[in-house]
Amino acid sequence: MSAFTILFAFGLLSFAMRSSLLLKLLSLLVLVAAGYLTLNSYALPLNGFSLTSGVALFEVVLFIVLGAAILNEDENINVTQTIFIGTASVALLESNTLLNFIISFEALSVISFVLVANVKNATQASGAVKMFIAGSIATAFIVLGAAFYLFENHPLNSGLQNVETFGTLGLWLMLMGLFYKLTIVPMHSWAADSYAEIKASHAALLSGAAKTVAALAVFKTFSPFLLQNLEFNAPILVALAIVTMTLGNFLALFQKKVAKILAYSSIAHAGYMLLAFVAVKSAYASTSLLYIAIAYVFMQSALFTLIGNLKENASELSLEDLKGLGEKDKITALIFTVQLFSLAGVPLLAGFISKAVLVYAVVDADLPIVALVTLLNSALSVAYYAWIVKHVYFDEASLDYELKSLRFAPLMAQFILLGGTIYFGIFAFGVFKVAF
Amino acid sequence: MSYELLIFAPLALSLLVYIPTRNLGGTKYVALALFVYMFSKTIELYKQLPEHGYMLLGKFLEVKAFDFVLTLQVDRLSVIMLLLTCVLLILVTLSSWSLTKKPAAYFSLLIFFSGAIFGVFMSTNFIWFFIFWELTLIPMLFLVGIWGAEGRIYAAIKFFLYTHVASMLILLAFFLIYKQSGTFDMTLVKEAMLTTPALIWWLMFIGFAVKMPLFPFHTWLPDAHVQAPSPVSALLAGVLLKMGAYAMMRMVILLLPIQAEKFAWIFVVLGLLTLLYAGFMALYETHVKKMVAYSSISHMGLIAIAMGAMSYASLSAALFEMIGHALIISPLFLIAGFLHQKMNTWEMTDMGGVMQKAPYLSAIFVLAGLGALGLPGTMGFIGEITILISTIESFGSWMVVILLGSLISASYLIWTFRRVIYGEMSEGVKNANFSMNRVEFFSLLVFAFLIILFGIYPQTLFDEINQAFGVYFTGGTL
Repeated sequence: MSAFTILFAFGLLSFAMRSSLLLKLLSLLVLVAAGYLTLNSYALPLNGFSLTSGVALFEVVLFIVLGAAILNEDENINVTQTIFIGTASVALLESNTLLNFIISFEALSVISFVLVANVKNATQASGAVKMFIAGSIATAFIVLGAAFYLFENHPLNSGLQNVETFGTLGLWLMLMGLFYKLTIVPMHSWAADSYAEIKASHAALLSGAAKTVAALAVFKTFSPFLLQNLEFNAPILVALAIVTMTLGNFLALFQKKVAKILAYSSIAHAGYMLLAFVAVKSAYASTSLLYIAIAYVFMQSALFTLIGNLKENASELSLEDLKGLGEKDKITALIFTVQLFSLAGVPLLAGFISKAVLVYAVVDADLPIVALVTLLNSALSVAYYAWIVKHVYFDEASLDYELKSLRFAPLMAQFILLGGTIYFGIFAFGVFKVAF
Repeated sequence: MSYELLIFAPLALSLLVYIPTRNLGGTKYVALALFVYMFSKTIELYKQLPEHGYMLLGKFLEVKAFDFVLTLQVDRLSVIMLLLTCVLLILVTLSSWSLTKKPAAYFSLLIFFSGAIFGVFMSTNFIWFFIFWELTLIPMLFLVGIWGAEGRIYAAIKFFLYTHVASMLILLAFFLIYKQSGTFDMTLVKEAMLTTPALIWWLMFIGFAVKMPLFPFHTWLPDAHVQAPSPVSALLAGVLLKMGAYAMMRMVILLLPIQAEKFAWIFVVLGLLTLLYAGFMALYETHVKKMVAYSSISHMGLIAIAMGAMSYASLSAALFEMIGHALIISPLFLIAGFLHQKMNTWEMTDMGGVMQKAPYLSAIFVLAGLGALGLPGTMGFIGEITILISTIESFGSWMVVILLGSLISASYLIWTFRRVIYGEMSEGVKNANFSMNRVEFFSLLVFAFLIILFGIYPQTLFDEINQAFGVYFTGGTL
C-alpha cells in the first residue's frame, strides 16, 4: 500500500460518486491517508520507484495543497482530476529511472490536458489549446532526446549514465522539452496565455502544483548529468535562468490583468527554480529547490484560486477591479497581500527563505554575480507586487466595485494555504533536515 | 518573560488589532500600553547589562545546517537604540492621538513596526537581522501610502522599492560573509573577516548608506518625509534613519575595522557632500516640511563624517548626535504637519506670524530649530561640537569646514523662523484655529524637555554612550 495506490484507486472510484459533499469528504480523507503513508516511507511498490525524505516532505505539502484545491472546487470532475494529478505527481516524484520518469511525466501532462479541457468559454478553450500544442511539442523533444540517448546504448530503465556526444545531445533535447513545461524562456510563450486564460483553479493546479512537481523531478533525474558536464552545462543554464527571470519580471510589470501578472510571475519563478540547476554543485542546491517548490506551491495555488473566487471570469480581473478590496473585505485583502508579499520575498514568509537559500546556493557555487542579478530581479518583481497592493489598499473603491466575497469552504482553503506560507516562512528546520 | 516575545508578540498583536471589522478607536490605548511596557522591559534589560560586551537573551528557531538561528543578544549600543525607539514610539503614539482616519489599522501598523524594529536591534544573526530590517518596510509602506498627503502613493512605492533594492546588496554581503566565515553570527565573525574582500564592505556600505541616507543615495527620503503623515515622518527620521546609522556603525565600522579604515575617506567625502548639499537644498526650500526633511538629511551627513573618523570620541559623538537628531527633528516635523493641517498650505511664504496666535507651539518650534542649528544649551550644540572636536583630532584642522554646515543650517532655520513664526501675520494664520489636542501638545513638551535636559546634562548620556564603544577600542584604536 502506498500513497500512489490509494490515490489511484480512489480516483477511479470517484467517477461513480454523485454526492459532491461525500466526494469532497472522502477525497480529503484519502489525502490524509496518503500523507500518513508517505510519512511512514511507503513508496510506490514497483521497480524503479523510491521515496527519499525530501520527496516525502514535498508529497505531504502537495497533499495539503490538493486538499485546499478540493475544498475550493465546485465540480465533481475537477475533484477527480485533482486526485489524479496527485497520483501522477507521486509517481513522477518517486521515479528513479529515466523510463519511469518519462512515463510519469507524460501521465501528468495528459491529466493536465484533460483538466483544462473542461472549458466554459472561448477564452478558456484558447488557453487549453495553446497548452496542448506546447505540451505536444515538449513531448516530441523528450521522445527525440530519449532516442538519441538510446542510440548511445544507454538503457532507459536505470538512472542516468555518463554520456558522450549523442547522449549529451539527447539529454539536452529532453531538457529542452522539459523546459517547455517548466516555462523556461524561450519555451515560455504559451504559459503566459494559458495560465491567464484557463480556469483560475486549473491554473492554480498547473502553475502551482504540477510545475513544481516537474521541476523537482527533473532536478532529481538530471542533476547527475548536469554535474558530469558542468563546465558546458552551467553557462547555458545561467543564461536561460537569467533571461527567464528577467523577462518574466519585466513583462509582468506592464500587465493590467492580475492573471497575466501571475502568469508572468510564474515564468520568472521558473527562472529562479532553474538557478538550483545552475548551482547543482552546491550542497544547498537541492534544499533550495525543495524550499522554493514548497513555498511556490502554497503561494501560487493560493493566488490563482483567490482570483478565481473574486471574479467568475478570473482572466478578466484587472488591477482596477481590485480598488477598494482592502476596505470592503479585510480578510481576503490581507490573505491576498500576504501571499503577494511572499512571492515578492518579504521576510517571515516562505517566499523569503526559499529565495534566500536559493541565492546562497548560487553564492556557494561561486557565482556571486548571478546571485546579485537574482536579487535585483527579486527587487524588480517587488514593483509589480507592490503595484497590486497599491490598488488593494491605497486606492479608493470604484463605484462599480463588484468583487465577490469568499464563501466558507474557499476561505478555509485560503487559510490552509496561508498557514503553509507562514509556517515555512518561520520554521525552516523541517526542510533542512530532509535529504532530497 | 522570554525576550523573543518583545518581537513576536507585537507582530501577532498587530494582526489581532487590525482584523476586527469595526474601527476601534481604543487601539491607541493598546499601542500606548504596549510601548510603555516595551520601554519598561528595555529599562530592565539595561539594568542587567554586563559591564562590557553582549548579553545573550536566548536562541530560537535553530536551523543548524544553515546557521539560521534567531540569536537575541544585546549590548549597550543596542539597548541605547532600543530606549530611543521606545521613547519615540510613545511620543509618536501620543502625537497621533486625535487621528480619525482608520485608527485601528494605523496603530496596528505602529505595533507591527515596534516588533520589527526590536528585532533589528536585538538580533545578532545576520539573516534574522535582515528579516527584521526588511519587515520594518512593510508598516512604513502602508503608513505613508494610506495616511500620507497627495503624492503619497508615489512616495510610498518609491521608498519601498529604493530601500528594498539596497537591502538586496546587504543580503548578498551577508551571504558572502557566511561563505567566508561559516557563520551568520555577527558576534563571531570579526576574526574571520579581517581579510574580507572589499566587495563585502562596499555592498554593506551602499546598502546602509541608502537607509541613512547619504548623498547620492538619499533621493527616496525627501518624498517619503514630505508625503508621510507628520508622526510617521518623525518615526522615519527618528528611528528608521537611525537604523541605517546603527547598522553602519555596527557592521561597516565595528565588524570590518580594517576595511573601514581603508575607506574612511568615503564617509568623510559623502558626509560632507550630504551636509552641504542637503543644507543648500533646505536653504532653497519654501515648503516647510521639505525644509525640515533636508535639514534632517544634512544632519545625517554630520553623523557620517563622525563615523569616518572612527575614533572612540567620534563614534560617541556620532551616537549622541543620532539621539539628538531624533529628538530635535521629530518636533519640527510634527509642528510642520500641524501647521499644514490648520492652514492647508506647506508654503512658508503663506505663513508668518504664527507666534502671535500660537505662542507655546511656536516656542517649541523655535527651540527645536535652535537645537538643529546647534545653539548652546541644546542637544544639537553638544552633538555638533563633539563631532567637530573629534574629527579635528582625527583629520586635522581643515575639518572646521563642518562649521560651514552649521552656518548654512543657521541661515535656513533663522530664515524659516522669520517666515513662519515671526513677521507679519498672514491671512492663513489669521483664519486658522491653532488649538491642539492636549495629549499631542504634551508629546511636544516632552521633546522640548529632552532637548534641553541633554543639552545641559550631556554627561548622563555620554557615560552610557562611552561605555557602549569602550569595548571595541583597545589602546585607542579599533
